[in-house]
Amino acid sequence: MNLKDMPDSPTKDPNAPIVHQQLGEMARQLHDTLAQLGFMPKLGELTDCLPDARSRLSYIATKTAEAADKVLNSVDQAKAEHSRIAKDTQDLAEAVVANPVRAVASGAVINFVTDIEAATARVDQHLTDIMLAQDFHDLTGQVVAKVVKLAGDIEDQLLKLLIQTAPAGQPKFDPEVLNGPVVNPEGRTDVVANQEQVDDLLASLGF
Amino acid sequence: MSSTTDMKFLIVDDFSTMRRIVRGLLKESGYNNADEAEDGVVAINKLRNERYDFVVSDINMPNMNGFELLNQIKADAGLKHLPVLMVTAEARKEDIVRAAQEGAAGYIVKPFTKATLEEKVQKIMQKLGK
Repeated sequence: MNLKDMPDSPTKDPNAPIVHQQLGEMARQLHDTLAQLGFMPKLGELTDCLPDARSRLSYIATKTAEAADKVLNSVDQAKAEHSRIAKDTQDLAEAVVANPVRAVASGAVINFVTDIEAATARVDQHLTDIMLAQDFHDLTGQVVAKVVKLAGDIEDQLLKLLIQTAPAGQPKFDPEVLNGPVVNPEGRTDVVANQEQVDDLLASLGF
Repeated sequence: MSSTTDMKFLIVDDFSTMRRIVRGLLKESGYNNADEAEDGVVAINKLRNERYDFVVSDINMPNMNGFELLNQIKADAGLKHLPVLMVTAEARKEDIVRAAQEGAAGYIVKPFTKATLEEKVQKIMQKLGK
């Protein structure tokens, strides 16, 4: 039964059993209180956005993983190309030092120049690919902004609800939810901000 | 005991990208022999079935986290000699202290540099006389 369809006052029915009357009063009171507080419609609206937020976060994970793979693949290929150039240069230098005339006459020099031209073009393409792979930052940045706004709205509504309804005392929270990277270490004494502080702490423990 | 160049590393991290980065950095530092595991369960099975010389492990992982893996390694007579370097985003002091107390050979917080990884690996190996 929808609360909107309930009679204004169940106590008006003199034949209703007393327990049902009391339950009806309690249900209406709860509904009216939440409606007066103004939380129900806003929270409902926000929770409707949560599946969308989940899919946005999955999108970010996918885009960043793709970008990381693309960059690492390009780096691997560019490094291999670089190693080949270094080796060919060394080989040519040895050939020129040993017999300059023969090195030129045999075509080793011109072949080297041609190979280097092609190799640098390939390296340039890898660098371009790495640059293009950074497009995830723009795309995910927009998505992150939307998810952050949604999280802020939910936090705001839940905080209002908590203040109105929570019993006195500090609200409990699960410390495990704080696991992971420390986004803002400033002003905190329970975390380290860099590797130097890790090393200092370990040194104080005898490491 | 293996020489530096043929030392075999096991890189344990649930993010394949991070495993690949650590592997690449180790390779650039001259350590070409590395294997990977995506969590502690896979890692402990590999450690019990193959020979490794060094473990580089994340902490936050599904199935078996880095601390549980560290404990299993240190409780196993056949594995407890293995150095375990924690490489993690966990920057809480209590985690660093816990890692040290439970037998980790070193602790690196992400993000880190190639120089940091190289330095920690070398320092640990020097201590072990490798």
